[in-house]
Amino acid sequence: MTTWIDAGCILIVFFALIILATSRIVGMIRIFVLQSCVLSLMPLFLHAEAVSARDVMLSLGTVSLKAALVPFVLFWAIRRISMRTEVKPLIGVGASIVCGALLIAGAFWVSLALRIPGRPVTDLGLPCALATVLLGFMIMVTRTRAVTQVIGYLVIENGIFLFAVSLFDAMPTLIEMGILLDIFVAVFIMAIVLNNINEEFEHDPGGESRAKMGETF
Amino acid sequence: MILMILFHWFFVGLTAPFLIGVIARVKALVSGKVGPSLFQPYFDLIKLFSKQCVYSHGVTWVFRISPAVTLAAMLIVCLLVPFGSLKAPVQFSGDILLIVAVLSLSRFFMIAAALDTGFSLEGLGASREAFFACLSEVALFMCLIALTLLARRMSLSGMLGADSPLSWNLLGPALLMVVASLFIVMLAENCRIPVDDPDTHLELTMIHEVMLLEHSGVDLAYMYYAAIIKFFIFGAILVPIILPVQTIFPFINTLIFAGGMIGLAALVGLVESSMARIRLNRVRNLLLIAFALAFFGLIVTLWRGAL
Repeated sequence: MTTWIDAGCILIVFFALIILATSRIVGMIRIFVLQSCVLSLMPLFLHAEAVSARDVMLSLGTVSLKAALVPFVLFWAIRRISMRTEVKPLIGVGASIVCGALLIAGAFWVSLALRIPGRPVTDLGLPCALATVLLGFMIMVTRTRAVTQVIGYLVIENGIFLFAVSLFDAMPTLIEMGILLDIFVAVFIMAIVLNNINEEFEHDPGGESRAKMGETF
Repeated sequence: MILMILFHWFFVGLTAPFLIGVIARVKALVSGKVGPSLFQPYFDLIKLFSKQCVYSHGVTWVFRISPAVTLAAMLIVCLLVPFGSLKAPVQFSGDILLIVAVLSLSRFFMIAAALDTGFSLEGLGASREAFFACLSEVALFMCLIALTLLARRMSLSGMLGADSPLSWNLLGPALLMVVASLFIVMLAENCRIPVDDPDTHLELTMIHEVMLLEHSGVDLAYMYYAAIIKFFIFGAILVPIILPVQTIFPFINTLIFAGGMIGLAALVGLVESSMARIRLNRVRNLLLIAFALAFFGLIVTLWRGAL
């Protein structure tokens, strides 16, 4: 079972990296759906020897919210304001991938120093959760469109969820459900906000002509 | 020793073109055609070998020796790679470096020959080949370093050989990433579809094929043969990692290896028929993802070793 848990953790980080490397918003959302599906299996994998009703609930809740409702709202927002679907990165895709790889290395290095009390099921849970959070930050910081920043936020959320699921056995169901609802509400509000902003948060008149790092092909 | 080397070459030379035939057949079947015979690459090679070479006036000796050097380099690399229960005739600690070095030597001569012709499109292809090779080499090195750490051996035969089969249970996730990365590197190095289309005849988009435009006859056969053997070598590195099954019967081991190679060729055929080639400036991103995968695999390996 540990192999499956490890593979799940690594897949979540890998999908975060692929989101960073995707240049279409629709593609980013699709990969986010995949990431959330893998994430929703994690509670079942982690308590494989005795799957409780709570794990099943948590898993179903994650799937229905993160892999169905949130993407639906995002797609709806994109269609509603009929925005162009290219991601506008501040640094190029190639440079982002290399930075992402370095961030993963950084996350593993930092978690060598972190000593979490208790015995985790897998030693990959903590570094992978940290790496996902960092990659989410990277997506938020370097992608200028409003929707892509929402996706970055959601990836960060997935990282935190992975952290909580893999490290703490006893988290009250209510709090977990509360977190899930929080995200949904946050995305919903952002979708409404998006309708008003339409294109992007910042207006940088010089930004168009500036050469992008790592896009010199 | 000499006999072993000759048998190794004999084995590669005889079986490698078959894999290309399998790829072509799978691609034809998926698109609903009957397709060429499985032995078509053999017929092509025989046809080319019976023709004469034509050289244009401007070319120098670089162009003339490059096919021979390319094929010789591939044959040298063959000697370092075990094929199933057929042990590698030459193996020493650190031979992975030699493999990468000889592969780049063959690429250097291919690029030099392409530039030697003075044909602008060949220069274009040469520049692309050099650029993508830089990226795929980094990914390949990352994979080899990760494999070295996983298997705790410095030679390729040690990594893939019978004495320490890499096990999926123990090293699963890290190995999975290395395999995925190696697969992308294999597609890129052998100019298969997501990176380059081996069947295209549009000079502007070709990478590898455009460098062969000026070669003819026996020279072209050498280049073609070298490309076929290169695919076989990458397959022979990848298959024992994916299928680390070892029995006590050499015959069954060879059967597993052969089945794995044909399966891999079929997989490449499926990938080729299900994907379009990606835009040229996206190839870099694909190769960087391969690098990131291998790097991530390396980190996980180190992490497991550190704890």
